[in-house]
Amino acid sequence: MIRTPQMLQKQEWLAFLFHRHNAHLASFHTFSNYCRIWIISIVILAVTSLSPLVMATFINQRLIQQAVDSELILQTERVTSNAKRSMRFFLEERLNALRFIVNELPYYSLIDNVHLAEILSNLKLGFGGFTDLSIIDADGSQVAYAGPFNLEGKNYKTQPWFTKSIESDNFISEVFTGYRDVPHIIIAVRSINALGRLFILRATLDTQRLMDTLLSYKTNVHTDIFLMNDTGVLQTPSSTYGKIFTPTRLDIPKFSTTTNVILPENENEYTFITGYSYIITEAVTTPFILLVNKEKSVVMGTWLNLGRTFNWIISISCLVMMIIITLVSTFMVNKLYLADKTKAETMMKMEQSQQLACIGQLSAGIAHEINNPLALINETAGYLKDLYHFTDEQQNDEEVMENLDAILEAVSRCGTITSQLLGFVRQFDVQISNVDVEKLITGILRFHKKETEYKGIHVTTDIAPDIPAIETDRGKLQQILLNLINNAFQAIEANGCLDITVSHHPPGQITMEIKDTGCGIPEENLKRIHEPFFSTKKEKMGTGLGLSITYGLVKKLQGNIRVESSEGVGTIFTVTLPVKMKKEDKV
Amino acid sequence: MKHIDILIIDDEIKFADMLSRRLSLRGITCQACYDGQSGIQWVKENPGAATLILLDLKLPDMYGTQVLAHIKEIDTSVPVFIITGHGTREDEKVCRDLGAAEFIHKPVSIEKITTVLTHARGEMQ
Repeated sequence: MIRTPQMLQKQEWLAFLFHRHNAHLASFHTFSNYCRIWIISIVILAVTSLSPLVMATFINQRLIQQAVDSELILQTERVTSNAKRSMRFFLEERLNALRFIVNELPYYSLIDNVHLAEILSNLKLGFGGFTDLSIIDADGSQVAYAGPFNLEGKNYKTQPWFTKSIESDNFISEVFTGYRDVPHIIIAVRSINALGRLFILRATLDTQRLMDTLLSYKTNVHTDIFLMNDTGVLQTPSSTYGKIFTPTRLDIPKFSTTTNVILPENENEYTFITGYSYIITEAVTTPFILLVNKEKSVVMGTWLNLGRTFNWIISISCLVMMIIITLVSTFMVNKLYLADKTKAETMMKMEQSQQLACIGQLSAGIAHEINNPLALINETAGYLKDLYHFTDEQQNDEEVMENLDAILEAVSRCGTITSQLLGFVRQFDVQISNVDVEKLITGILRFHKKETEYKGIHVTTDIAPDIPAIETDRGKLQQILLNLINNAFQAIEANGCLDITVSHHPPGQITMEIKDTGCGIPEENLKRIHEPFFSTKKEKMGTGLGLSITYGLVKKLQGNIRVESSEGVGTIFTVTLPVKMKKEDKV
Repeated sequence: MKHIDILIIDDEIKFADMLSRRLSLRGITCQACYDGQSGIQWVKENPGAATLILLDLKLPDMYGTQVLAHIKEIDTSVPVFIITGHGTREDEKVCRDLGAAEFIHKPVSIEKITTVLTHARGEMQ
């Protein structure tokens, strides 16, 4: 069957995975394990092409992460720092105003309730955020008061803020409710009156004003900005932790005079970072710690989305590359396998034909060497026979004559064998001429006419009328047909049939079929019939060279020979020859 | 000059002798030479004396084709039959080109030789 390259590809795609193992053929292959080569090539290609991509992605991911982190830190720091400055300014401004009042005005005018109320209204006008003002002497009793609450005559000696404020020049309290039950902050300055006694000018500040200032720094819903005291209790409401005075259970950050950012320990899973700062005025350290929480995912969403899109693109490209790598590797390894297989087959054929040629050379050598002694035996035996023949003595000794004839016959047999052996070697030169196949076959059958009649063999020839004269070596074709027809006659018993069919197909070739109803060839012998010296006709003088010479001759004529046989039924030899032999072999 | 039927040039002494004896028994006169030089010498000394020549290819002193060439130089008309156990197709071609009558493989039957001789005699007449 002639297979086109396309068919070959379709049929043998993945051939290297699903081929049948043939140990003899495998010994001619350059590579033994194609599966391994396939896997190695896929792995090497995948690693070399995908690893830079994966590395680039990883580095890119890290860079985005770092950019996001540093941007977030920067933003948080900026917001914290700005909010801290305004907090400090808010408190310092009011503390300094009080300091100005106690230094500027005499004690007696301060303890005048009417005057104090005037000062309060001026403070409200100038600064805002003040709720009331009061003068408290060193004993803790309130000397004068201006404000909305009726607190005149109250004694604050037991209040913790009083003890703290009488001990230092300036004081700022936490947010607390006190007697009035409203959250407020106390700021107080200490001074000495004309009598040399200590007194305190105390003002309470409205927390609303403070909160408004703080909230002005809250740029979006993802930022939480609030104050807490050094025990972790909220001083302003927080969107994360709840209402004012709620304990946050946060770790109290380390004291620092500057703005700091806390990064959570688990870097990959945190959702927000925290900026903090202790609020310290020039005159006094306040109990407030400013905290800013910024959510990461939302703030840096764009960046993170970009990273995710990038990852998708990379994953899809990796997948596509893997598919291409696998396909290309499979294709290449398959090509390699097929090429290697063709090479192995050619090498095997070459080895076979070389073996044949070697055997041929050896046989020819032996034949040559044997011919001379054979000639001598022939002549000696002939001479002995002549002696008996030409002298009168013992002329009638039949036994001697018979034995001499046996020797001469054996010599003649040996001569046939050696000349066949020489013929085996000689099959290598070709002389091309136009040959009429029909005439050739008729001529050969004429040789066997007597045998045909004697055995009662029925011979039919069916030669297609369109058979052209073929360009080939007449002598070799004659020998091929002679050998095959001889074999057939030897196989056919009495009253058997011999059919010779010649047809003109496939195009450019002729097919000759020689079919006999002889004894057939056992299956185990079918494979060996073309081997030199293989013969089953020991008793019938077979040399075992007939078919091997025929095989060599057919190959030499660029043809093919095929045999089908079943024991007891018969044998069909099919010889296909080109109508015109190719030029390169004409030499 | 003695006329003979067949000149045998063959280094296989026993073969040549045996063949001569057998031919003698049949009344055919023979002369055997065991190397190329003596064969050529004989032809030189007795030109046209042999009806035919049987020549082996493998001789101890020279190759049969050379002997053939020399003989044909001296006597172009004598038919030379090559009898060899070693002949290749190339040898056959060279011999035919040099004018050998036939190329016969050993072993050869005595009948073949007598037939050939009869033929040669007929041609001479």
